[in-house]
Amino acid sequence: MTNIKTLAKEIRRGWTGYLFIAPGYLAFIAFMLLPILFAISLSFYKVSFNLEARQFAGFGQYAILFKDPIFKQALLNTINYTLVIVPATIFISLVVALLIDPLGPRSQSFFRGAFYLPGVAGGVVLSVVYLWIFNPTYGLMNYLLGLFGIKPILWLATAPYSFWAVCLVVLTFTIGQPIILFLAGLAGISQDMLDAATVDGASDLQRTFYIRLPMLRPVLLFVLATQTIQVFQLWEVIFMVTGGGPFNSSTSLVYLIYQTAFIGGNYGKASAIGVVLMVIIMIFTLAQLKFWKQTDV
Amino acid sequence: MTAKINKQDAYRRAVEKSTRFISYAMLTAFAVTFLLPLYWMFTGSFKLQTVTMAVPPEFFPAHPTLENWTRLFTGPWPIFRWVLNSVAVSLLTVVLVLIVSSLTGYGFGKKKFPGSNVLFFILLSTMFLPNQVMLIPLFLLVRYLHLTSTLLGTYFAMAMPMISSPFGIFLIKQFCSTIPDELIDAARIDGASEWQVFTRIILPLLKPALAALSIFTFNQAWNYFMWHMVLATDKFQYTIPVGVSIISRTPAIGKMLTDIGITMAGGSFGAVFMIGLFVAFQQYFIRGITFGAVKE
Repeated sequence: MTNIKTLAKEIRRGWTGYLFIAPGYLAFIAFMLLPILFAISLSFYKVSFNLEARQFAGFGQYAILFKDPIFKQALLNTINYTLVIVPATIFISLVVALLIDPLGPRSQSFFRGAFYLPGVAGGVVLSVVYLWIFNPTYGLMNYLLGLFGIKPILWLATAPYSFWAVCLVVLTFTIGQPIILFLAGLAGISQDMLDAATVDGASDLQRTFYIRLPMLRPVLLFVLATQTIQVFQLWEVIFMVTGGGPFNSSTSLVYLIYQTAFIGGNYGKASAIGVVLMVIIMIFTLAQLKFWKQTDV
Repeated sequence: MTAKINKQDAYRRAVEKSTRFISYAMLTAFAVTFLLPLYWMFTGSFKLQTVTMAVPPEFFPAHPTLENWTRLFTGPWPIFRWVLNSVAVSLLTVVLVLIVSSLTGYGFGKKKFPGSNVLFFILLSTMFLPNQVMLIPLFLLVRYLHLTSTLLGTYFAMAMPMISSPFGIFLIKQFCSTIPDELIDAARIDGASEWQVFTRIILPLLKPALAALSIFTFNQAWNYFMWHMVLATDKFQYTIPVGVSIISRTPAIGKMLTDIGITMAGGSFGAVFMIGLFVAFQQYFIRGITFGAVKE
């Protein structure tokens, strides 16, 4: 009884707190929490354009989904995209950041800006150029490969090249952000520690492997987490460049959500795919959190 | 003895010089590779259709033409309207995100009230959820309310999924926790109301964080392609990314081929605004990215 009383008192004393969070929290409930819950409930229904005429299907939607070869392909592709793009992004941006780090402040900000520029231009704009670059007869890509004696490739019309084409486009604009993060991390490493290592006779390469890289670990894990979640949601490049084809060889889960919901009007099935994606990302995030705690960064 | 040290010094300097040269060369090679698409687009916008399809390709337009640009500006596409739409949607998103994030972030960062931890945890746990999941219900809501039948409604609908930004609230909360309590207490003793404390003390201190959040949100809203694509039904509702994608899908008049020249002009036109903003506010862009990830 006293507990309830003190709680009531605390709630009354904290009223300004509730007032301050109210606008934001109500917006959060209205535009995020309820839509997510609604999507979960929608995933148990069969809907075709008209929401009023929905039919309850229970887990039937999910059963159909896991028998659907296109869904399986999209799931597999999404995982493959992540396995290719994320390590490539991290490797390239780490190398670039290590190369930029020793430069003077002006060249540093120049190169940092240059690598971030494609990201600012956005995926749609880049995709539009790449459509031209990947053209089999007059595209730049086949011309450049031709200089090395490689025969023309039908980049967007044949598997597995369409998959690799999407990876290339995405790479152009994903490396900017990690470079900035790695540079900020490198700038935070104490110069005294590096100097001490130099006095002890460590070469620059040794300083990189034994001091810089271990010190970058927290940033590295952050980049790994954010990049993975971003690539899981890959969509616009596929929409622009390959349309998921040929024969769904370059499709992804989110592209499938887009097609199923906004072209096909099958909101229930699309929500079910969304829930699957949500679960995958949740498992991944939790695994990451556990890993962070274990390695105690 | 000194001669030996001098020799070592000279050797070390030579090594340093050559490593610097190599790293500059490697960096330039990387930068050229990654900027090539943008270069190709800008130069492509000054090439005639026949030149865009030439083999071998022309690396620098030998006979630059403004034809694509004139066709873009005088053609059937309301491109300035698209830019206006993009600016309006992005600004509206920024304003709403700033209001929501500063109030809520301050509430969670400085106020003590029962349930605050739980409420904040629920908020934060949605930060990494794929937002495509909530777009379906939001789309049905927008359609049910006929929001896209008016211009203002369309802008609001386009801003909707970004308003309650868990990232923004998290960022402001973190920033608020660095503000000493004494500052707030002193103002309260001097007779300032809760609201005055927030507007006169907290908001001015939050300026750098709010600036970074604005730029970050603006860029995100600008490129929220899927949502704009789904909502915009006629060409006066398009934002610039949607418009660019539509231009790229429209074949040249009387031909089955993509009109490369005008597509490149459209792409350049669409990119130039954001790139200008980036060049002008680079430090805020970078702060928006590094906040929260790297200890400062």
